Amino acid sequence: MTSELRGTPAAPGMAVAAPWIYRAAAHAGVESMSLDEASAAAADEIGALGAQLRDAGREEEAEILDAQAMMAVDPELQAAAAELAANGASPAAAIIEAGDAVASQFEATGDEFLAARGADVRDVTARIARIMTGVPAPRLERRSVVVAADLPPSVTVELDRELLVAIALEGGSRTSHAAILSRSLGIPAVVGVSGVCDAAAAVSELGVDGDAGVIHLDPDAETSARLADAAAAAGDRVALDAGFATTTLATADGHRVACAANISEPAEAAAAFSAGADAIGLFRTEFAFAGRATAPDEATQAAAYAAVLRASAGREVIFRLADIGGDKPIAYLPLEPEANPFLGVRAIRLAERHPDLLPTQVRAILRASAEVGQRASIMAPMVADEEDLEFVQRLVADARAVVTDAPAPRVGIMVEIPSAVLLADRLAPHVEFMSIGTNDLTQYLLAADRSNAALAGRQDPLHPAVLRAIRRVVEAAAPSSCEVAVCGEMAGDPVGALVLVGLGVDELSMDPRAFGAVKRAAANRTLDELVVLAMAAQQMSTAAEVRTAVEAS
Amino acid sequence: MADAELEVLNPSGLHARPAAAFVRASSAFAADVTVTNLTRDAARSASAKSVLGVMGLAVARGHRIRIVAEGEDADEAIASLTELVSSGLGEAIDAA
Repeated sequence: MTSELRGTPAAPGMAVAAPWIYRAAAHAGVESMSLDEASAAAADEIGALGAQLRDAGREEEAEILDAQAMMAVDPELQAAAAELAANGASPAAAIIEAGDAVASQFEATGDEFLAARGADVRDVTARIARIMTGVPAPRLERRSVVVAADLPPSVTVELDRELLVAIALEGGSRTSHAAILSRSLGIPAVVGVSGVCDAAAAVSELGVDGDAGVIHLDPDAETSARLADAAAAAGDRVALDAGFATTTLATADGHRVACAANISEPAEAAAAFSAGADAIGLFRTEFAFAGRATAPDEATQAAAYAAVLRASAGREVIFRLADIGGDKPIAYLPLEPEANPFLGVRAIRLAERHPDLLPTQVRAILRASAEVGQRASIMAPMVADEEDLEFVQRLVADARAVVTDAPAPRVGIMVEIPSAVLLADRLAPHVEFMSIGTNDLTQYLLAADRSNAALAGRQDPLHPAVLRAIRRVVEAAAPSSCEVAVCGEMAGDPVGALVLVGLGVDELSMDPRAFGAVKRAAANRTLDELVVLAMAAQQMSTAAEVRTAVEAS
Repeated sequence: MADAELEVLNPSGLHARPAAAFVRASSAFAADVTVTNLTRDAARSASAKSVLGVMGLAVARGHRIRIVAEGEDADEAIASLTELVSSGLGEAIDAA
């Protein structure tokens, strides 16, 4: 039996290692550099760490570091420190004291957000003092559990990722910077563990259980083995997948398939590209309309869309026009109660009752495209037939007549209504891409309501009928230059993805978290194997049979 | 001297990122620029070229601020900062 401390689980995973206690050092040393020089050096260091986070897709933390870089050379902070130094304080003590004064003032406002920035200021001034006195940056010498009262992002990023195996903090919550950063870096973490700094100083090993929120002090052999086994099993799979995330999605014999991301907020775009996306295959634009009292105007939408185009740096972004209605009601768009909302007035069918909704959105997309100087791709949901397609093309043409300086958009449709599958040969010549929404297509094809839990067993897109529908779309598109993508959950399931590659789909669009697993699955098969598998799957009787066959192959 | 009174519509006010954008813009002018949070404490102003000073004003969404510039490019500074704050300092904003 080992003694343990409890806290809040902040990032999942387990690890056992020696504790390394981080304390923002007190600097009594002799200054070897002027305050100006040290401040400029600190700003450079912090700026470089911010750039490193931005490259890794951690925009939120990168912004904290950007602001910290400005704080390091802030004129008011510098003036306050210079005054303290003129009154006899050592320059290092002066900058620490000036930082404390600002932080206390932030904390005294009672504004929670500003109080948290106080910690950022103290982190900056501690770095300036450290540089000024020639003390090297904190460094891990061996595999360590980092223990601290709080851990600023600037320190977390600087520590050697290979040696930093877990984090245990006295302070913090699940939503603190340290917790968010640990999760995004995949470092197990427990926060809010009172007494952990003192306890860690007295032991030689710490076991961290980031799932349960427990810190084991000098764990016994049994506990260590349990934590190590759990870490190894989860780590093996995750590490193998992670190794593939930013590779090309291709079969063992080199058949390439585009790997795109599904996103629901502009801020997710940069992270998706860092995670290994070739494109944004589905940008759900409902975020722009949700949680508001009034409809968003053209300029507001254009600003949000431009942010995603900028993040894409020239790669394709497919904007799906708002799919409102069905299960996604919006306050300012009053909809009649419907007995079958999934078969009701949703997506482009709203145009009759709300004639401004879609024209405004298409103009906003074109304005964003013109502003960034990059072509946008526009995808219409719930297209049933040629008449719907003509409506969409008119919508785009009308918007282009108003926004004349935008590059010509690529126009495509979602294929989710069975009629669009049957008419795919008539639709394909008029669009540049078709993206199959397998979630809705499955519910419509099998007449099984997605929101009805009693029918959950009938929702599997591996059903041979769904596979035949997808193959039909691929064949119908082949004579035109129309690309076929799949953007349902099926694309992010390694088994589903393998079948889709075998069916001849050009692009898989999924949650970025699935990239590694899907790419690893594809890299282990040849295209021929998958084509044969997909042909066989279409001749099977049930989805379960298909899944078993793929997993056994 | 030139000045302007503005309402800040950024969702979290002038927190780190918009404060940084504001300070970067102010710093481009030779004029001395100060800012006051009229809603919170009209007696206290901070240099618009100090990110810590601006953040310390704790400007929240819906607060009114006053910007004052003194120096040869004061008019230009006020015009440019007014435009920047009204357009959301690089963030998406909605009229309240």
